[in-house]
Amino acid sequence: MTIEEGVKYVAAAYAIILAVLVIYYFMSARRVAVLQRDVDLLEEEAKRRQAPAGEAGAE
Amino acid sequence: MKKLVSAPALFIGAGAFLIVGLMLGFWWAPVDSSSMGFSQKIFYYHAPIAETSLVAFGVAFVAAIMYLRTQDLRWDRLGYVSIRLGLLFAILVMITGMIWGKASWGTWWAWEPRLTTFLLVCFLYAAYWVLRSVVDEEQRRATYAAVFAIIAFIDVPITWFATRLMPEGLHPAVITSGGTGMESSMFASFMISMVGMTLLLAALIRRDLQIETLKDQVTDLKTSLGG
Repeated sequence: MTIEEGVKYVAAAYAIILAVLVIYYFMSARRVAVLQRDVDLLEEEAKRRQAPAGEAGAE
Repeated sequence: MKKLVSAPALFIGAGAFLIVGLMLGFWWAPVDSSSMGFSQKIFYYHAPIAETSLVAFGVAFVAAIMYLRTQDLRWDRLGYVSIRLGLLFAILVMITGMIWGKASWGTWWAWEPRLTTFLLVCFLYAAYWVLRSVVDEEQRRATYAAVFAIIAFIDVPITWFATRLMPEGLHPAVITSGGTGMESSMFASFMISMVGMTLLLAALIRRDLQIETLKDQVTDLKTSLGG
């Protein structure tokens, strides 16, 4: 097989590997960011709900 | 527990090794003189991904044993993410292997020992996912998954040794007891890519574990807030 003939196969193989790995990397990074934001929001909500209960207990 | 290496450092290290390995594979290692010719360049990522996918299944195997011993769901989580990434890598191996097969053997697929046993690995670990999806109760799901991961792992050493035990197949055995069967520049490029792919797997396992932990936190917080 000549280099010219092999190039298209090699390019296709590396393009697929790099595309899949890069997409997975960014998808997982985004998933972490979204879930972390959800955790922060839910923790804030939990604190907000506890605060009036705590104030009522103090009275 | 403090982590030894930060997640960004693992990703940067993986990227650096992978780029250097690829550059050396293309510009330092010579074009293969056998019938494979230039298509042999696929090897510098194909083989490390293949071996890393088997490492991921090995991690899942150890995690399965540890789960059955301790009943600690953190081991189940590790096994789950390892198999997810191992399967992703295995699918990449199948795709790039088919491309390489077409280039060097003239066919996309051959029912020879390495390819067939590797395809079986993919099917087994895909079945692991199906199994997990049909069991709702967490501890029972983890137990079934662990037992299945141990059984599925039996095919991994068979795949690894397939080319050595049955050398008449099309797929060559790259590293054998007799040596590497390739030039030192090719082997060095391969090893650098191998280190990079292993670091990438470690970084992705760590990130996926973080995702699973955050998902559990979200579920717990929603439950405590009443829905």
